[in-house]
Amino acid sequence: MPDLPELNPVIHGKLRLALLSLLSGVEEAEFTWLRAKTGSTDGNLGAQLLKLEEAGYVSVEKKFVQRKPQSNYRITEAGRQALTEYVQALKALLGGAIGD
Amino acid sequence: MTEHAEELELRDRLSLIESMIAEGRRTTESWGWTFVFWGVAYYIAIAWTALYHWPWAWLVTMAGAWVVCMIIIQRKRKNQSVQRPGTTIGRAIFSVWAAMGVSMSVLLPALGFSGRFNQNIFVAVVAAMLGVANGASGMLIRWKAQISAALVWWAATVAACFGTDNQCQIVFLVAIFLCQIVFGVYAMSCEARVRKQQGALHA
Repeated sequence: MPDLPELNPVIHGKLRLALLSLLSGVEEAEFTWLRAKTGSTDGNLGAQLLKLEEAGYVSVEKKFVQRKPQSNYRITEAGRQALTEYVQALKALLGGAIGD
Repeated sequence: MTEHAEELELRDRLSLIESMIAEGRRTTESWGWTFVFWGVAYYIAIAWTALYHWPWAWLVTMAGAWVVCMIIIQRKRKNQSVQRPGTTIGRAIFSVWAAMGVSMSVLLPALGFSGRFNQNIFVAVVAAMLGVANGASGMLIRWKAQISAALVWWAATVAACFGTDNQCQIVFLVAIFLCQIVFGVYAMSCEARVRKQQGALHA
């Protein structure tokens, strides 16, 4: 029996997975947009984004727009690769069950 | 945790990824109104030229329409509570239309000032450019309705090259009606339907 792949624990968290998936479909996204799409609180969202940033999966650019602070997040190449590998691992774990 | 519960959780993760990627790519911005808006602007310019024979009617109408269009877009964006992020496809479509706008604003006044302007050339050039922009947008987002609009513009380009002045004018009026007014209203109804579905999903 072949070894089953392990799921990346950094991505496996539901909110982190949602964030990385959201960012994979856009060029970059503001903190407020990510909050609106995930329905998360500021604190939780900031903490999960920090974990993704520390893992090198997202990059952040902080700037001021009309004197208001704005944080723009972008998925990195490593993040895209990790998400792809996570999806492949998920499919392998689900095996023949996919498409049922 | 049972094997079945584990499998359900993994499936849940997979559907979460799919739905979030789709959510990111989904556009909530409405552009259908711009087709109707520019269609009306073309009709105003045509009527103004036909009634008063003022050579600057097109240039003035297009410049005015561009300013009004930009003001409306800015206001719509300001009213959005959350700024939507850009996508690569969105930027590609914007680039196609912006490049077409620049081409038109360079070529058409140049034709006018050089004295080499005539109605057939004007209609053929405008229709060909609108065909390019609609065709490229339609192919990028794989929207058959917009590709059909491009086909109508390209047919108008050919017709303008061979038709008489009157035929050319009629072809242009019909193409504007089909590709700007009818297509714009159709696009708006599609956008309204999508917004309704999104509203239901988030409720």
